[in-house]
Amino acid sequence: MVIKKRDGVSEERLDRLGRDLVRASAVNEAEAEAAASNGFLYARVRSRIEQREARESWLVTLKVAWRAVPAMALVAVLAVALFISASLGAGSSGVLTDESPLDIGADGVVFADARAMSSDDVLATILNEDEQEASR
Amino acid sequence: MDETVDSSAPPEEQGVAPDDAQLVGRVVAGDEAAFEELFNRHRRRVALIAGRFFRRREQIEEIIQESFTKAYLALADFSNERETSFASWLARISFNTCYDELRRQKRRPEGSMSEVSEEESEWLKGRLRVEGAGEDIESAAVARDLAHKLLARLSPEDRLLLVMLDVEGMSVSEIAEINRWSVSKVKVRAHRARASLRKVLGRFL
Repeated sequence: MVIKKRDGVSEERLDRLGRDLVRASAVNEAEAEAAASNGFLYARVRSRIEQREARESWLVTLKVAWRAVPAMALVAVLAVALFISASLGAGSSGVLTDESPLDIGADGVVFADARAMSSDDVLATILNEDEQEASR
Repeated sequence: MDETVDSSAPPEEQGVAPDDAQLVGRVVAGDEAAFEELFNRHRRRVALIAGRFFRRREQIEEIIQESFTKAYLALADFSNERETSFASWLARISFNTCYDELRRQKRRPEGSMSEVSEEESEWLKGRLRVEGAGEDIESAAVARDLAHKLLARLSPEDRLLLVMLDVEGMSVSEIAEINRWSVSKVKVRAHRARASLRKVLGRFL
């Protein structure tokens, strides 16, 4: 077995010292015991669990909202498209073409040019008729 | 004389403490006291695992709290058939929590990368050069400080593996099971971890 040497110290020796150091770093029973015997530890764990659960319920709500985003966007796009097409349709009905009467229907044709007579018109018509009779 | 015990009665009524699996079942059913019992049974073990990696009491307490919180939230997933025991399942959570904390510390620039003092460097050289150098209480204290400083220079993966191998005395298959790695991956990583530690020690020659 070939043992590599680094500045006269074998890798095996380095490994052994490394193992000793790792073990030395892990000797901490007193602190571990002190930490485990803290009387408030369980209360803190409970409080952390409650915080985490509250946060997770928010996350669930956000996830649901996030999933609803595409559907809501589609509905919004459809509503905008409907609005635009409706306003374009209203604009084109104001222009009279040869086909317009066919588009707007019989009632439209009948009442399109009809003007309501005012009381002045009625009075003027009566006066005209009276003048014509008088002139005869 | 009628001394028959009703086997369908709860374990407490039979005078037998419920085992971990039974307590887990009760916690999942909504019994908070059962979780406190689990906490009291296993907190020392979790504290010992945390003490392998962290020196300060607050850090150890933090690991205990985080480990039990994670365990509580994952209890529904815990299945006694799949896992060997609640204790080993909790140990895995604790090791993972320590690993996460080591990674978090490594990311922080003010992490525990303290400089090795002249005295510690001399001590290390002495240990390397002199075969069978004596160990007294003073040198053990130096060793502990120095060990933490040197191990802080390793990656969290290397440190985790070395502690599992050299301190916990776990077998390669046990480490593979805890970390959910393949056996060959554990072997390769262990080899690299030893090489990294040799490299760190070699700088003091």
